[in-house]
Amino acid sequence: MYCSYACNSNEHAISRRSFLKGVTAGAAGAAGFGGMVGSAGAQALATTQKHVVVFYLAGGVSQLETWDPKPGVETGGPFDKIQTSVPGIEISELLPLTAQQMHHLALIRSVNHKEGDHGKGDYIMQTGMRQAPGFEYPYLGSAMAKQLSPPDSPLPGYIHVAGGGSKAEAAFLGAKYAPLSLNDGNPPANLSRYATLTEQSDAKRREFRNKLSQRFIAGRRQAETEVYNQSYDQAMKLMSKKEIFDFNRMTDLDLERYGKHDFGRHCLMARNLIESGVTFVKVSHSNYDSHSENFNFHIEQLGEFDKPFSAFVADMAARSMLDNVLIIVMSEFGRTPNINARVGRDHWGTAWSICLGGAGIKKGVAVGKTNDKGTAVIDREVDGGHLFHTYYSAVGLDSTKSFFDEGRPVAKADPKTSAITEILA
Amino acid sequence: MFRCRLNFRVLGVASLLVALSFSVAVRADDAPVATVAPAAVEPLSVQIDRLIAAKLPDYDKAAAPVTSDLEFFRRVSLDLTGSIPTAKQAREFLADPAPDKRAKLIDQMLASPEFARQLARVLDVMLMQRRPQQNVPIADWKAFLYQACLENRPWDQLVAEILSADGIDPETRAASRFYLDRGGEVNLITADIGRIFMGVNLECAQCHNHPHVEEWKQSHYYGISAFLVRSSLFNDKGKQVFQELAVGEVKFESVFDSRDKISKGPQTTLPRVFDGMLEFDPKFDFGEEYARAPAKDVRPIPNFSRRAQLADAIIAPTNKQFRRNIANRLWATVMGRGLVHPLESDHSENLASHPELLDSLAENIAARKYDMRAFLKDLLLTKTYQRSSLRTPEQQATPAPADATFAVAIMRPMSAEQLAWSLMQATGISEIYRVGQGANFTEAKLYAQLAGVEQTYVNLFGGEPGKPGKDFEATVEQTLYLSNNEAVLKWLPPAGKNLCQRLLDLPPTDFQAMTEDLYLSCLTRLPTTEEVQELAAYMADRAETRSVAYQELIWALVTSAEFRFNH
Repeated sequence: MYCSYACNSNEHAISRRSFLKGVTAGAAGAAGFGGMVGSAGAQALATTQKHVVVFYLAGGVSQLETWDPKPGVETGGPFDKIQTSVPGIEISELLPLTAQQMHHLALIRSVNHKEGDHGKGDYIMQTGMRQAPGFEYPYLGSAMAKQLSPPDSPLPGYIHVAGGGSKAEAAFLGAKYAPLSLNDGNPPANLSRYATLTEQSDAKRREFRNKLSQRFIAGRRQAETEVYNQSYDQAMKLMSKKEIFDFNRMTDLDLERYGKHDFGRHCLMARNLIESGVTFVKVSHSNYDSHSENFNFHIEQLGEFDKPFSAFVADMAARSMLDNVLIIVMSEFGRTPNINARVGRDHWGTAWSICLGGAGIKKGVAVGKTNDKGTAVIDREVDGGHLFHTYYSAVGLDSTKSFFDEGRPVAKADPKTSAITEILA
Repeated sequence: MFRCRLNFRVLGVASLLVALSFSVAVRADDAPVATVAPAAVEPLSVQIDRLIAAKLPDYDKAAAPVTSDLEFFRRVSLDLTGSIPTAKQAREFLADPAPDKRAKLIDQMLASPEFARQLARVLDVMLMQRRPQQNVPIADWKAFLYQACLENRPWDQLVAEILSADGIDPETRAASRFYLDRGGEVNLITADIGRIFMGVNLECAQCHNHPHVEEWKQSHYYGISAFLVRSSLFNDKGKQVFQELAVGEVKFESVFDSRDKISKGPQTTLPRVFDGMLEFDPKFDFGEEYARAPAKDVRPIPNFSRRAQLADAIIAPTNKQFRRNIANRLWATVMGRGLVHPLESDHSENLASHPELLDSLAENIAARKYDMRAFLKDLLLTKTYQRSSLRTPEQQATPAPADATFAVAIMRPMSAEQLAWSLMQATGISEIYRVGQGANFTEAKLYAQLAGVEQTYVNLFGGEPGKPGKDFEATVEQTLYLSNNEAVLKWLPPAGKNLCQRLLDLPPTDFQAMTEDLYLSCLTRLPTTEEVQELAAYMADRAETRSVAYQELIWALVTSAEFRFNH
């Protein structure tokens, strides 16, 4: 039972009794088992594990040069629109290869989160909530890692390929669900056995460590000691899979198809990670913040984006993975229809687009409309809350449930909004 | 100029009596007052054990046995000095025949600079919750806390210093980190004052009366906020300070009322801590509000500062939450769990596990003028603190009593700092540094030398910024660091008189001595016979690779669950 609290308070209208029960359940969770203990739900998912890949076009990609072109009007800019593989859906000519994958994708052309600040727009798009002092919501990557990762997976649930990201993204879900960053394409730190330590020596010391620890916790068993010991098993398993982080493993053919530039290699890494079982991968592409020379900027940036992104979608389809992999292309906001004096477009959260595809998403549809000049949403306006409900539904999770932060319920997606059902398969 | 204070709540007769009896108890403790018959006064530690036992039927059967000397030594070392002891210290303590050696050890440790350092760490995490540096160097802040703990500065005085600092006077700038590294953000500071100094989480009350806690009203949140609403960051020639205006009121209305369209419009309140005194602003003639009026790039100075009233209002004797909170937090620091749990939920829907005990502790710490050192001493002298975390085999046949009974010691993961210093202690690294300083050794120098290591562990093992009570999370990243990082592994090979070298110095077949040194150094206990045999077996075919084998064993011991927890 939810109330739409105007302040997005994370205290919900539940009875006192159930609140106190919540405290108990939350406390047990906080004791450290996290997602490691296999609930029935988590085990059921393991067989058809869902994944999410976010392509984050940092700085704010222009909707007019991508998903919602308006050629021929004063705000439209110099580029034309082109047919896609879906009759009736046209996108910018800057995305010719992506246009050929449109039958796997879907568009939302009516995002209005009203935010023109990088940090605040980013927060809304990555948490589904507006920033409010005193409240911390987990980022999508951490939330999905917690809810979709198989309980015994040795792999990190949330990997950010291009680097960056902070422990704080996991908020109260805990460090286990924070993004693991592959900075400059480097594998995670300390993944290889130290040079002077032989495999045999390592095995011996681990065996002795385990024996001692088991003896100690007999009679003192508790969640924290269990989790501590399990982390050693997990570390071993992850070390044994370290080749999945190896950029050198990429074939020439793949590199040719994705592009040898950083973003191409990062997209290819995303594919490899998803294939290896990682739950959530984020690939950032920088930088679309084109306050001047918007059009030259977008020719260059989208030229780099189009090839690897379309190759990624095609590969997911070819491997029959699209049903289990949700693809999201987002920014913190779009760009103004108005073209400024420096031939730039500025920050714009009022009427812009994102692209989805894969798991749970209808193929080849476009939802929502902006007006002729792209200055306002005229149909099916949505904000971060709608998007989060939609992502959750797409991967088969219930977005009306709550997380528990030390007993306090925290909505998974803004209760005042709901999923965009027209785009859900 | 006139001011007027209204006292809205008079101390109840009962609590007044408790307060009196405790001030008597403390005086008796300090000995000079001979007019009170000492026999009538129950020492606090005895009272604690009595009240803990009284709460659980069959307590004597359910309570874990009192710790062995070494188990106690390890625990108290971690709690009071922030590290496990050395093998040498452990041997000396074990050999000491004095019947009161535990009390003596507590006294000795409480008087040490290591204790000041450890209490400063505890207070740092409590007050700043691992927040990153924004405007005040963390090192200055830590030095300020360390100095305060060295001098055993009373908690109320320390809090007053922190809540009065605005960052302008260089002398007190370090203390302003509480405000300035929260970005001067009034809502965040208001909520944290509630949580950290009063044990109440008023976050909900920012938008509406608390839905589940009758006594937490929106006006309580804004009463505290009203002290701060006129304050904000000011860039004083490149240095951020906390400035204040002479005007500005809080405004609030319940979001439920606005939603249901029954709101009578925004309300306001004067500054007030809970149901304490309303702090009226003095009246000034128009134009007389400022000693220095606001202007561009000029820091205003009001003739009356609301924020300057905050510290007194928080630490006022009428604010019982202030003493309950610190008593509960210090209890939780050494006992592993608050009497009120979670620590910031001291309210009518979440009563203390031992209400009478918490009342008593709160009055006690106030009566002894917030002397944290003396208060902690009484907690550590209790049987409750000194119980084992391991129940007897007979007890293990029955379900374990809940943590909130305090009948069995609660295991606590080491803090990031305890882990760093204990690893260096066990492997013998800190000893090398101590020896290196020779006769001029000081704790401060050692800390300065190894603070970088501590910081590495805080970054990797410390809790999330702004997330109290979540300072433990075992991640693969941490485990990979302990398993494969050069910084850890380079502590293991023989060097100076470190542990590996000491083991190599022993006769290769003296497995008893070898195992003893290994276990005392890493786990602060003697090995069992079985463990000596186990080690002999481990070394059986390692004559050629003795040093490597010892390094394997040391690593295994210091990464074991037994090492990782304060048990």
